[in-house]
Amino acid sequence: MNTVHFTAGMGEHPAMVTRVAEQQWHALADDQVVGRGDVLCRPDGRIFLSIDSWHGAVFDRLADAMLADLPRPLYTVVDEADRDLTSSWERVGFTIRRREWEYVVPTDPRVTGLDAGQPPSGVTIVPAGEAEEGPLRALDRAIREEVEATVGWQAMPAEVLPRPHGTTVLYPSKYAVAAQADQYVGLVRVAPLTRQPRIGLIAVRADQHRRGIARALLAHVLGSLHHSGTETASAEVNESNEAATALFEGVGAQRAGSNLELVCR
Amino acid sequence: MARTSKGIEVEGIVVECLRNATFTVELQNGHKVLAHISGKIRKNYIKILPYDRVLVELSSYDLTRGRILFRYRT
Repeated sequence: MNTVHFTAGMGEHPAMVTRVAEQQWHALADDQVVGRGDVLCRPDGRIFLSIDSWHGAVFDRLADAMLADLPRPLYTVVDEADRDLTSSWERVGFTIRRREWEYVVPTDPRVTGLDAGQPPSGVTIVPAGEAEEGPLRALDRAIREEVEATVGWQAMPAEVLPRPHGTTVLYPSKYAVAAQADQYVGLVRVAPLTRQPRIGLIAVRADQHRRGIARALLAHVLGSLHHSGTETASAEVNESNEAATALFEGVGAQRAGSNLELVCR
Repeated sequence: MARTSKGIEVEGIVVECLRNATFTVELQNGHKVLAHISGKIRKNYIKILPYDRVLVELSSYDLTRGRILFRYRT
């Protein structure tokens, strides 16, 4: 694919925008790549754009070319602190759709107050690596269906977007679960990143909400991390998710930043 | 330091995370540049933290500024 869109004057830096691949655009000036645009199609079908350039005019030309070629709606993600980039996307027609807070979560029970956190009666916590794969996949499937039927996946971070049909959890060893009787009722997944582990997902079946199961799962994983010498973990929470916000802020998590999801309809 | 069609790319270590979504990166030659992260990294929710080893594309317009293209595994 080599679709030349147009050549545009930008003062001293004329640039030509070319679609060099199905999901990639280049802005060229004097045979140098002065800007790049890329597309990512998420599993839910949404199309996310990114543009890297050193000049606002090049950004605009790339955005114009990509918007002309691609079906709406189109999405992108920006760090809210990056006001220049946010303004650039807004200038070409994108608006804020949602905000996701980034939290730094302490692991020390003396800070989190979770040292006395016991699971509710009848519930036991199964550590990561010990959960049975079949019931874990059944729980994952049930929770995904509940989300789909309520808030919808588009309000969720990228990590918990729906999988291709029929697939559920990819790495069972990363999950700790809450077990009750003969089934699993809650799960938490921690990406064991060396620098700062990431709490990628914490979820409880809808009929088991408000029993303290999520807090017990969090107490378990944070306690394990603290025991292994890790001082903090990270987590992302959608701004509208009041329960998750209360859960993390209740254990002393601090907001470290925020990402904006922008949309062009 | 290699010049490619993609610009000037060089490895460095993140030494500081600044407030405005930018990072101070110390390059292999000891120079420090102000870098922000590329759209592809942001789109994939890849986090950049101090001490990360990264690949930086330097701006051909201002060699004190750069863009983090890749975070190496530690």
